[in-house]
Amino acid sequence: MTSAAEAADRQAEPVTMRGATDGGVIVAAVTKSFGAGRERTLVLDDVSLTIARGEFVAIIGPSGCGKSTLLKIVAGLLDADHGRVEIDGESVTAATRDKLIGLVPQSPALLPWRTVLSNVKLPMQLNAKANGHRTLRDPEEVLRSFGLGNALKRYPAQLSGGMQQRVAIARAFVFDPDVLLMDEPFSALDELTREQQRVGLLEFWQSNRKAVLFITHSVPEAVVLADRIIVMSTHPGRVHKIFDVNLPRPRDAHVYEHEAFHSTAADVRAALRDVTEDPYV
Amino acid sequence: MSDLKEHQVAVEMKVALDAIEPGHGARSAPASPAAWRRLRIGIWLPPLIAFAVLALIWELYAHAHPYTIPSIEHIWTSLRENPHMYWANTLTTLREIAIGGLSGILAAVLLAVVMAEVPLVERAVMPLTVVLMVTPIVAIAPALVVAFGFGVFPKYLVTGIVVFYPMLINSLAGLRDVDERTLDVFSTLHASRFETFWRLRLPSSLPFLFAGLRIALPLAVVGAVVAEIAAAGEQAGLGALISVAASQANLPIIWSSIVLLCLLGIVLISVLALIRSRILFWDNASSKRT
Repeated sequence: MTSAAEAADRQAEPVTMRGATDGGVIVAAVTKSFGAGRERTLVLDDVSLTIARGEFVAIIGPSGCGKSTLLKIVAGLLDADHGRVEIDGESVTAATRDKLIGLVPQSPALLPWRTVLSNVKLPMQLNAKANGHRTLRDPEEVLRSFGLGNALKRYPAQLSGGMQQRVAIARAFVFDPDVLLMDEPFSALDELTREQQRVGLLEFWQSNRKAVLFITHSVPEAVVLADRIIVMSTHPGRVHKIFDVNLPRPRDAHVYEHEAFHSTAADVRAALRDVTEDPYV
Repeated sequence: MSDLKEHQVAVEMKVALDAIEPGHGARSAPASPAAWRRLRIGIWLPPLIAFAVLALIWELYAHAHPYTIPSIEHIWTSLRENPHMYWANTLTTLREIAIGGLSGILAAVLLAVVMAEVPLVERAVMPLTVVLMVTPIVAIAPALVVAFGFGVFPKYLVTGIVVFYPMLINSLAGLRDVDERTLDVFSTLHASRFETFWRLRLPSSLPFLFAGLRIALPLAVVGAVVAEIAAAGEQAGLGALISVAASQANLPIIWSSIVLLCLLGIVLISVLALIRSRILFWDNASSKRT
């Protein structure tokens, strides 16, 4: 298999070139399998997408569509078998070296022995030589804008799950990365808290526009937050459909009442039904 | 928060007592809860009763069989009449525990760090440490005394060997037990290996380290005593004192030394618990466990 030539071919497809000139994220013809021999399963098959600078892209799909694997590849935690990932025109390795990526994992993943403030300072302390050419934010200020001004000196165990996740998001914003990767950050929260967190993230992101790749299981969450929604299909994971969300920005809690919210959500649900084997979802 | 926990414990104890003696709570209802909380009677009274019962049985047996075990009074008299002898020997044993035990602990933690960072070293050295673990320390001690003489070195060595394995295994487990997602955050920031070790692996291994110490410290007492018994001599520690006194069938000295060893172990564990609560204040999960 002439994978290199094939990959080069795929790169020429117009969709992959969108946003190439102005930075952001380019994922071009990424393929990934796990296991070896007969056990080998294709998880991602020829996945291409772009995220422009300051664009919020949500990926949604049934379990096993490889969306978390895709995020790990973009974060540099896994290597793709084939294909190419670029962040601001650099390879992923170079991008992590320059601290261009802020990661918000599924669980808050805070250091329990550090206070909230100290946790948020962590990204500045690690790999400090990459701090040089950037404008670091004031951690206290970021935490205050996330409504955590009273919790600076507290420890993660003293916070609710929602507050912990907000600290994790503040930690990803604080060193001013170009790209934010969020892997179902609100999935462990109850529905009411999720709603609050979404609006909180929306507010903060709208005044600090970053390229965001946001993995989610929730259709309303994707519609409320994103500029574009990518629906993935399973076995193997492929890009099934891409939706533009035509909701005006800045959005707030009232976005749920918007006409376009319901129609987009309905479209996304329909697309999800196409790719889900179980018809009762 | 801790007040609340204490209160809960007190309430639970009270509930338990009520079950044993119905009406207890109702009778002294007005004064009772405050007194329970302030004096924490529920916490120290039950073990005190258990100790008192044991002491009573001991005394009854000692008076019936004076040549098997000494009475508590005899132990107390012996301790009071020779404070210098006991104190000097206790210090000797404590020094062996401190120097031998700490060196063993340090060596084990360092080796665990190397093993965690370089898997090849683990594969090479782990079988060796298993051999060390399964060899009975009581058997090695006399051999080491023959090899290194009656001085302090074999005692440090035996104490060090005894604490080594539990510390190694626990440190290794701790260094491995790192939250995957936190590790992901570190790698996305391109944290260096040292940064990941220093700011993530080492602190998150601390609960395991303290669990290891809880096992290792009492073992260090065992190691020191075994080494002393293997190389008995004057002023050579409580183990040597026991060994010499046993050859003379001096029951009060044997049992006084045992009591002192007991106290030594309790002090060590208490100090450890104190340090642990200061350092691991953040570790809710395992403080609930212990």
